[in-house]
Amino acid sequence: MIELKPGSKVDLTIGGQATVIKELGRGGQGIVYLVDLCGQKMALKWYLNPLGDKFYKNLEKNIQSGAPSDAFIWPEYLTLKTKGYYGYIMKLRPANYFEFGNFLLAKKNFKSFDAMLAAAMKICDGFMMLHRFGFSYQDLNDGNFFIDPSTGDVLICDNDNVMPQGEKSGIMGKARYMAPEVVAGGIPDKYSDRFSLSVILFMLFFANHPFEGAKVVACPCMTESYEKKFYGSEAVFIYNPNDKSNLPVRGVHQNVIRRWPVFPAILKDNFIQQFSQEKLKNPTTRMIEQEWQKLIAKVRDSLVVCPSCGEETFLDTTSDECKCMNCGKVVSIDRYIKIGSRSLILTPNTKLYIDNDNVADALVVSNPQDPSMLLIQNISGQKWTAETPSGKIKEIEPKGFMPVKTGIKISFSNISKGEIIA
Amino acid sequence: MSLLDEVVSVPRRTMTLFFMIDTSGSMMGNKIGAVNDAVVNVLPMLDEISETNPDAEIKVAALEFSNGASWLYSEPKLASEFVWQDVTAGGLTSLGEACSELNTKLSRSGFMQAASGSFAPAIILLSDGGPTDDYKTGISKLKNNNWFKAAIKVAIAIGDDADLKVLEEFTGSNEAVFTVHNIDALKQIIRVVAVTSSQIGSKSSSAGDATKQDQVVEEVKAQIENIDGAEAATQVDSSSYSDDWD
Repeated sequence: MIELKPGSKVDLTIGGQATVIKELGRGGQGIVYLVDLCGQKMALKWYLNPLGDKFYKNLEKNIQSGAPSDAFIWPEYLTLKTKGYYGYIMKLRPANYFEFGNFLLAKKNFKSFDAMLAAAMKICDGFMMLHRFGFSYQDLNDGNFFIDPSTGDVLICDNDNVMPQGEKSGIMGKARYMAPEVVAGGIPDKYSDRFSLSVILFMLFFANHPFEGAKVVACPCMTESYEKKFYGSEAVFIYNPNDKSNLPVRGVHQNVIRRWPVFPAILKDNFIQQFSQEKLKNPTTRMIEQEWQKLIAKVRDSLVVCPSCGEETFLDTTSDECKCMNCGKVVSIDRYIKIGSRSLILTPNTKLYIDNDNVADALVVSNPQDPSMLLIQNISGQKWTAETPSGKIKEIEPKGFMPVKTGIKISFSNISKGEIIA
Repeated sequence: MSLLDEVVSVPRRTMTLFFMIDTSGSMMGNKIGAVNDAVVNVLPMLDEISETNPDAEIKVAALEFSNGASWLYSEPKLASEFVWQDVTAGGLTSLGEACSELNTKLSRSGFMQAASGSFAPAIILLSDGGPTDDYKTGISKLKNNNWFKAAIKVAIAIGDDADLKVLEEFTGSNEAVFTVHNIDALKQIIRVVAVTSSQIGSKSSSAGDATKQDQVVEEVKAQIENIDGAEAATQVDSSSYSDDWD
C-alpha cells in the first residue's frame, strides 16, 4: 500500500501517530497530505518512490538540526518506514502564499515593487542562513518558493533535498536553474547555489529567464542536449554587452523588455557581471548573499512613490532631473534623510527601510492641515529620539509622527542616526 | 497604471503527448473500453500539470490504427480542449502505416509548429497484437526522424499476444515496454505512463546524466510494482497471471 487514505495512520520516529485527513497535492516525488498530529493540522510529504537509506538518514539529521530561519518550511518529524515507504511532517503553507511559478505564469502579480524587493531580500536571507548552517540546495527551482504577493514574504519549501555541502542527494535540479558546472554533471555546492540565486532574482525582477533570448527561441526542439548547451556550456546572458547573439525577442520576452530599462543601473550592471562568461566559468567569484542584500537595499533606497501619479518609481539621483518611470513628470529630490552615505528621498506614501531587517520602519505622509508639509510616521516597534536644530530633544513613539524639517537629527537606534535635509 | 500590472506569462514551450492506439479487431470489448475510460480520466490530470508549469504547456494528439491510421484531431490540442471521442475496435493492425503517419506529423510543417518552440514529444504506443502490414518501412522512417529520436517513447503491451519485439523496436529498448494482464492494470498504467511522461517531458531536464527517457522508465517501473497484473518487459514471467479480459 503506497498511497495513504483518509484515516490512515503513520507512526513517527519520536513515537506517536499522525492521521491522514486528505490529499493536498501530488508531484513527481510524492503526495502531500493534510494530517492531524495531536490535534494540530500539519502537512505530510509521503514519498511514492522513496530514495535509499542515505536520504532517510539525511532527513533525520536535518530534522535534528532544525530550520536555518523562519523562511523555511522545514521537515519537523519523520515517519517510521512501512514496507520501505516513509514521509516527513512539516507545517502547513498558509493560503496567501503562492508558488513562484504562478508569478512567472502571470497568474499572480506582486502588488508593488516594494513587495518584490522584500521577496528578493528574504530569498537572499534564506540562502545565506542555509549556507551558514553548512547546507546547500540540490534541487532548486521555481517550485521551491512560495511568495505572498502583497507583502513579498517568502516561504522556502521542499527542503528535503537540502544536503551538507559536497554531498549529493540524488535529486537533481532543473537545468534552467542550475549552474553551468552542475548542468555539466558537477555536484551542487554553495557556489552553484549562488548562481541559482542570481537566476531566481533575475526572474523575480524581470519575469523572464536570463539565458532565454533569440538563440533559444530559434531552437525548434529543446532536447536535453540543447538544454545542456543553452544553460550550460554555451549559456549567453540576454543583455551580455559583448555578445548580442541572444537578445530578448519582441513579442516573446515582453516582461524583460519593458522592465530592464526602468530598474536602477547598479542592479543591471550587477546582473551583467554575475552572468558574464568569467563568472559563469569561475564559480568561486560569484557574489555572496550579503553583497546581494546590500545591493538590493540600495535599489530599495531609490524606490519612491511619485507625488504626481501615485505609482512607485525608481529614481536615479545622479541624473540632473529625476523623472517618474510611469508618468514622466519630474520628482523632486529636495527632501531626504541622510543616513551615513545613504539618502532616503521623502515623498508622500514612500516607505523607509532604516535597518536591514527587511521590515519598513517609517512611512512618509502629507500633513493633513497643509499637504505641502510632510510628516514621517514611526511604523517600527522602537521609540526614536530626535534633536531639533535648536537642541530640543523629542521622542517619537511607535505610530507617532514627526515633521520633515531641515536640520532635525534622528536616532533610530543606537547605531543608525540620520539627519533631515529639506 | 503600474508596470507590474502589465506582466505577461513567460513564454512557454510546448510538449506534445502522442497516444498511438491499436484499434484492431482483437481490442474489441473491454480492452478498448478501458482505453477510452483511462484516457478520458487522465486528460484533466494533464491539464493540471500544464496549467501550473512555467516551463511548457502540454498538448495532446491521438492516432488510432486498425485497417489504416487516422488522427482524432487534425492538430494537437490542449488537454482542457481535447474532447475524447471514444474509439471503436475492428480490422487489422496497420502499425507500419501508423508509424509513417506519425513520421509525417513529427515535423515543423506537421504538428511541431509551436511559436516559442517545443520540448521533445512523448509517445505512448498501445497494442495487443502484432502488425499485419509492413511495419519495418514505417519504423525505419521514424528512426531517422530527429523529433522521434529525441522523444520519450513508451509502449504498453496488452496481454500475452502483443508482439514485444516490435514494441521494443519502436521504443528502442525493452525497458520501455510494459505489459499488462487485466483491465484494471491497463487503466492504471495508461494513467501512470501519461502522467509521468508529461511531468518529466514538459519540464526543463535535470542537470546530470539521467535522460528524460531513463527517468520516465525508472519512475513507471517503481509505480507499477504496486499494480497487480502489470510488469516491466525485462522481467517477463507471465505464467503467474491468467489473462482475463472478459
